[in-house]
Amino acid sequence: MALLVSFENRIDESINAQVLALKRSFELQPFTGLVELVPAYASLAIFFDVGVVRKNYTKYQTAFEFVVEYSKRLIDGMDINTADRQNRTIVVPVLYNGEDLHFVAEHHHLPTDEIIRIHTSKVYRVFMTGFLPGFAYMGKLDERIATPRLAVPRTRVSAGAVGIAGFQTGIYPIASPGGWQLIGQTPVKIFDARKENPCLFKAGDRVQFVQITKHEFEKLNEY
Amino acid sequence: MSTLQDAGRPGYRSIGIGSGGGMDFFAMKVAGYLCGNTNDGAVMEINFPAPEIFFEQDAIIGLAGADFSAAIDDEAIPSWRAIYIKRDSLLKFRRPVRGSKAYVAVQGGWNAERWLGSCSTHLKLGIGGHHGRSLQKDDRIGFEACPISFDKSKILPWQISEQELARIYKPSNINRCTRGPEYGLLNAAAAKNFTEQPFEITLQSDRMGYRLSGPSLSGLEPIELISSPVDAGTIQLLPNGQCIVLKADHQTAGGYPRIASVIRADIPKLAQAVPGNSIQFRLVGLAEAESELLAIEQVLQEIKTACYLNLKNYAARSGY
Repeated sequence: MALLVSFENRIDESINAQVLALKRSFELQPFTGLVELVPAYASLAIFFDVGVVRKNYTKYQTAFEFVVEYSKRLIDGMDINTADRQNRTIVVPVLYNGEDLHFVAEHHHLPTDEIIRIHTSKVYRVFMTGFLPGFAYMGKLDERIATPRLAVPRTRVSAGAVGIAGFQTGIYPIASPGGWQLIGQTPVKIFDARKENPCLFKAGDRVQFVQITKHEFEKLNEY
Repeated sequence: MSTLQDAGRPGYRSIGIGSGGGMDFFAMKVAGYLCGNTNDGAVMEINFPAPEIFFEQDAIIGLAGADFSAAIDDEAIPSWRAIYIKRDSLLKFRRPVRGSKAYVAVQGGWNAERWLGSCSTHLKLGIGGHHGRSLQKDDRIGFEACPISFDKSKILPWQISEQELARIYKPSNINRCTRGPEYGLLNAAAAKNFTEQPFEITLQSDRMGYRLSGPSLSGLEPIELISSPVDAGTIQLLPNGQCIVLKADHQTAGGYPRIASVIRADIPKLAQAVPGNSIQFRLVGLAEAESELLAIEQVLQEIKTACYLNLKNYAARSGY
């Protein structure tokens, strides 16, 4: 079972920082029976083992009641700043040759070079991972390049494709159907099931995209 | 489609890897316990049309879940039983009688690839289980040597009581659920339809989710949701007013309103539903959701111990 703690329903760095601060509080002070913590943009799911919780916290009528009480206590004592200080910045090289780069440029009446300049001019935040194993939702994009999803998703997007959807940007970790506007391709493997830590990104990381040439792409290609 | 599954790989949802595992966790575990296993090793999850399995060596198997009219060398064998299979025998599933997922466990567990602590097949990543894919014709899957040997195949004498099974699987069309985070978005008419009208399981149903067809619940107030966590059993409301129930291989996050969640104790029942079946939802409180789950866990514990001892005594009586 899981308890969902929801914060204000918007895509916002400070709200996501609160989600991660609460996650960190649980990691530092886990209760017996905690199974896993799943952060999203503005909510945190706390999965727990009902039987273990009931056995260990016998004062409560239900395991759920205990987890609610425990969460309230952590929320009251939580420190937003500690969670965000520890974040790393990951540099991601991109060859901006995506199938939708021209569409995105036309959509915004900008040259493609300007789309690339704007996409690389900001350090993004990884808000959460989901949709596919290792798929990191990053943002927020500059309004000048924010573009709606494709009306009809592609049946296959290749691994490493860099896309944008609304105010979000992200990289396809594995080949998959997908509806994001594709603007480029990274040579870096962002998900590798055979590694001990399969996923390059985690929520709270910062990401800086850097433009590379086709020659550099070939030198760096890990796929 | 048939795959190797176990209890799943919890702990990786935060990097987008769902827990996965056997869809009917009760039948899957019981299959393993029936043949004397005490840990949750890899079990074959079988959908109809089912494979024919040729045993090249002696085996004790546990058979549970859907009734697919199983037979060994054309002699019928019942479900929810342990069976000794003589080498060079063929296990067949002749026709689907009841349910959608049959589980075949073997004493000691099927040899399977373990990834992130679990042998469950992750079909999307192509990892875990048997080469990360569903089982195909001519696949060979190993298992430990059988501890006993007889002249021919036979049904072993212990079984799971009808009463216990009825408690878990009946009434088969009622699925209890708790309110979801966005339940409050349903208007009165939609909320009434949700619990009073039947929903049909459509053909667009797989290990990721069941798409339902029923009364439109589009009385929903418009709200823009941002991606948030979901779980097996989560009932999401699609923009067209229809529902989808997430299953074992669901994505870890979704953007559709989560109107309710099928309680874990009713997941086995739901997993055994087949396209065309009609189901109904009944709202219950969290206390009932928890006590029903604890009851199932208790039953599983008892079955595990009883079957282990039954097999041990049986082997001893047979001179092993």
